[in-house]
Parts: sequence; structure tokens; C-alpha cells
Amino acid sequence: MTEALEAALSRPNLIAFVLLLLWGLYITITHHNLVKKLIGLYLVQTSVIFFLVTTGAKDGATVPVILEQAGEFSADLYVNPLPQVLTLTAIVVQIATLGVSLGLAARIYRAFGTLDEDEVLEKLG
Amino acid sequence: MIEHLPALVLLVPLAAAITMPIAAHGRRHICRPVTLLAAGTMTVLSAASLWSVAAHGEVRYSFSGWMPPIGIEWLADSMAATMVTAASALGTLCLLFARGIGDQQPDRTTVPYHTIVLLLIAGLAGAIYAGDLFNIFVFLEVVSLSAYALVAVPGGRALVSAFRYLIMGALGTAFYLLGVTYFYAATGTLNIADLAQRVPGLLDSKAVLGGLVFMFIGLGIKMALMPLHGWLPDAYSDAPAGAVPLLAGLVTKIALLVWIRILFWLMGPESGDEPLTVFTLVSAFGVLASVAGGCLALGQSELKRMFAYGGISHVGLVLIGIGQANFTGLSGGVYYLLNDAVMQCALFVLAGFLATRYGVSTLKDLGKAGVRNPWAIATLVTVGLGMIGLPPTGGFFGKLRILLGALEADNYLAAAAVVVTTLLTLGYIAQVFEKLLRGRGAAGRRSPGETPATLRVSMATLIAAVLGLGIWNDQIVRLLMDSVAAIGL
Repeated sequence: MTEALEAALSRPNLIAFVLLLLWGLYITITHHNLVKKLIGLYLVQTSVIFFLVTTGAKDGATVPVILEQAGEFSADLYVNPLPQVLTLTAIVVQIATLGVSLGLAARIYRAFGTLDEDEVLEKLG
Repeated sequence: MIEHLPALVLLVPLAAAITMPIAAHGRRHICRPVTLLAAGTMTVLSAASLWSVAAHGEVRYSFSGWMPPIGIEWLADSMAATMVTAASALGTLCLLFARGIGDQQPDRTTVPYHTIVLLLIAGLAGAIYAGDLFNIFVFLEVVSLSAYALVAVPGGRALVSAFRYLIMGALGTAFYLLGVTYFYAATGTLNIADLAQRVPGLLDSKAVLGGLVFMFIGLGIKMALMPLHGWLPDAYSDAPAGAVPLLAGLVTKIALLVWIRILFWLMGPESGDEPLTVFTLVSAFGVLASVAGGCLALGQSELKRMFAYGGISHVGLVLIGIGQANFTGLSGGVYYLLNDAVMQCALFVLAGFLATRYGVSTLKDLGKAGVRNPWAIATLVTVGLGMIGLPPTGGFFGKLRILLGALEADNYLAAAAVVVTTLLTLGYIAQVFEKLLRGRGAAGRRSPGETPATLRVSMATLIAAVLGLGIWNDQIVRLLMDSVAAIGL
């Protein structure tokens, strides 16, 4: 038990990720306002992307641009750029999702005059 | 030219989708022909790609000549090529069908609608061909975003269904990406071929197991696996009639296909004699989904909802097949997936036809209407036989293989679930048969005009596909299973 706790405490990125993910899920599930649901959804996606980019973090390393050709390279001195590239793509996907979802929310507002889920369902009968 | 086929299959619909809003500005009438042309070209190209893969073996396409692990790789093995061919052919048929039932006057939704349909078809090809987990994620999202937008087209109630679908689907994508992150952290690669080498040695790693679980949840939402299926019936019953066959036949199946590809590398001989817990879990969810989905379908009075729950139950059957972790079950699962795509497409083509031509949306209406259209009756009879699983349709041979696989693995619960699902399917399909064939009503005599040629072509092709898949089942299974020969199963 203490071992698991220590392992978790040694990875603050994991703790932050879990907190953000659960927070986002909680907002998405409990709130009745559609835009607030989307905020929760955005938080969930952001937490996953945050986790993705922190897996590439490395202490004391720098950007992976090798300036001098001479000498030996040590992989410890350079950060793996791939998680960051993936993160960029994932952010683009997230923004596309957000765009579509906000568009839908706007159409719901125009059609029903409200963003509250219960009121919308009431109007649908 | 021939070596670029996998890329061209994606580029044709993608280029058409991007140019559509510009080219069709002020000329809305060109939308439908151009979309049909692009989808038809894609079908021909993917069939050519399938032919070349069958003749010369799998193609690994590296974009811009950058070899993996640095570049992006597409894997066109026989299974992927077959599935892309099926997806693009079904897409073309759905477009033909949508043209047949739609009113011929283009309005202001015509241009975005066709753009989105093309994007959806392009995304399907990408998600099947992609050789690494991250590209699969991107293309899955292209497919899903197009699907949300398509569901919302009619407005009103459909907007709410689309919004729910979006919330569920976006959570699914987030979980899938989380699984990908775990895999990357544990193995340092995203390429499917590399993962197949590294994952079997890492099955004790909690990161790999966590990754599998998160991917299963994420893809489970997308494939409407039983406890996560809540979005599907509403979305399908509210979406425009022309788009539902596309959604039902292809969008959920793509997630299932991705999951099958991920499970491949766990089935190799290195993973030991004991079946892994993950397969037991997949099989158990399959049992739950197939039986509960069948029961729910039996209780529906609306045709579209009944077929939607039928689809949910048949997703369970595919999972039962692959969950047995032996060759018979896997081949049955993959083959049944192909059949199910065709049958779901055909069922919703039928439902859309009945709804738009006869105004029939519930079982009760169907009994009253007395539909006497030979095309509708022929489609229902063939596809109904396929859903129940009677020879000579493909459904029979798929179910038979799944059942044999379950018996081979001594999994009698799964075998029983296949039989029970068959009986439940018989139950709800027989209700539709009964109402359609024995329906006496005035509406039937008041013929709603001739069936347009586009409708006849799409229905006849779907009937031929259901029968053809059954008649050549042995060859098709062998073609699909070429891909797994490499892992030595």
C-alpha cells in the first residue's frame, strides 16, 4: 500500500492527470448545461493530452537539435520530440471536436431557445 | 502507379471533399454526381489494390518514402484491402440509395452533406489502412466527427441525439488516446508491426494492460458495446434516412476492426498456452452484448430501433468469435464483421425505403401498410435469413465458425450465447416478416410510383453481396486470414 502511494507520489504528472480527468468526467456527467458539459469534455481531453506530453519529459535534457557533428552523442541530453509532435496533432483533433460540438450547441440553442438539457428534453416531450 | 494505390484510395475522396465547397458554390446540382463519382473511383481503386495484394502479397506503403519508424506507414494486407473495398463499395451503395430516396431538388444542406459523407468515407479508408496507433486515432476522429455532423442534419430532435453521440464519442476517443499513450510509454513505438514484436514480452507490464483496458473502453463506446451503447439507437433513429446505412454499416464496424487488429498481436504463440484474461473479458462482454442486445431488439416496436439493437447484439457475436483466441473463432469473427457491415447497411436501406416511400416506421404501420414492393420484400427475406444465420447467406457461415471456435475453446457459455442470439434474432426478424408479408392494407394498393433505378441497383447489389459472401465463404475467409498467418496462429 505504502509502496503504491510512494510510486504515485513520485509521479506528480500522473496525479495531476488523474485529478484533471476525474474533474472533467464529473463536470460532463453532472452538469445539465450543454456548454458546461463541453467544458468538462474539454478538460478530459486536455488531461489526456497533458499526460501524453509529460511522458516525453526528461530532466536536464534539451531540444533534439544536434549542432556539432563531431564527438559522441548521448541520448540523455536530448528530449524525445515524438510525444510533443503527437500532442500537437492531438490538440488539433481536440479543437476540431470542440468546434463541431460548439456548432451543435449553437444549433440546439437556436432550435430550442435554451442550453439546459432538462428544458430541451421537456420541449421534445 | 500501382504501388501508390493505398494512398490514392484515400486521396480521391479527400480531394473531392476539400474541393467540393468551392467547386459546388452556386452549382449545387453537381454535388451528387461528383460525390458518386469520387466514391465509385475509390471503389475501383480499392478493388485494384485488393487484386494486387491478393496477387503479390501485402503492401507496406511509406509516405514520401520515409521508412518507419521515422515515417508514416500504411499497411495494406489482404484483410485491410478487403475491408477497404467493402467499405468503399458500401459507401457508394449508400450514396446511390440516398439519391434514390431523397428529393431531387438540392437545398442549402446539399453541399455540406456531401462534403461530410466524402470525409467520412476517406476517414474509413485511412483508419483501416493506417499502420500505427496514432494515425488510427486521427482517422477514427475524422470518421466520428463526420458521423456526429451527419446525425445532426435533420435538426430538431436529431440535434440532441447528435450532441449525446458527440459527448460519448469524444470521451471514447479520449480513452483510446490514453491507451495509445500507455502503449507508447511502455514500448516506445506506435507502429503496429513493431508493437506485435514487443507487446507479447511485456504482458506482465501494468502499463500495457492499462493501455489495453483504456483502448477497449474507448473503442467499446465507438462500436456500441453493450453497456456503452446508449447513444446508438437515438442517433440511428433520428439521423437522415440516407445516412443511417452508412453509419450503421461502417462507423461502428471500424472501431471493431481496429480492436481486432490490436488483439492480433496478443494471440501469437509467445503469449503462452493459457488464454489471456483480456480474451476472457472480450468474450464475456460479447456474451452480454449479444444476448441483451437481442432481448432489447425483441422489445422494440420501431423498425429502426429494432435493427439498431440487432446491430448491437451482432457486435457481441463478433467479440465472442475473437475472444476465443483460436483461429476458427478469429476467422469467424472477422468474416462475420464483414457480413454484419453488409447486413446492417441493407437493413437500414430497407428501413429508410419503407419510411420515405410508405411512411412506415413502426411494426404496426408495417402490418397496416401492406407493402407489395418486390425489391423491399426480396431485401428483407435475404437479409433476414442472413441475420438469423441460415444458409446460403454469409451470416450462417460466420456464425458457424464462431460457434465452432467457442466449442474448440471449451467455452460453452459463449456457444450457448451464439445459439440464444440466433433464436432471439429469429424472434424479431420473424415479426418483421410476418407484418410485411401478411400486411393487408389500402396503402399497398396505392402504389407510391415506380422504384427508381438507383434504389433497385443498391438493393439488388446488397442482396447479391449477402448471398455472394455466403457462397464464396471459404475463399473470403482464406483471403481475410492471410494477414494473421504471419503471427503463426
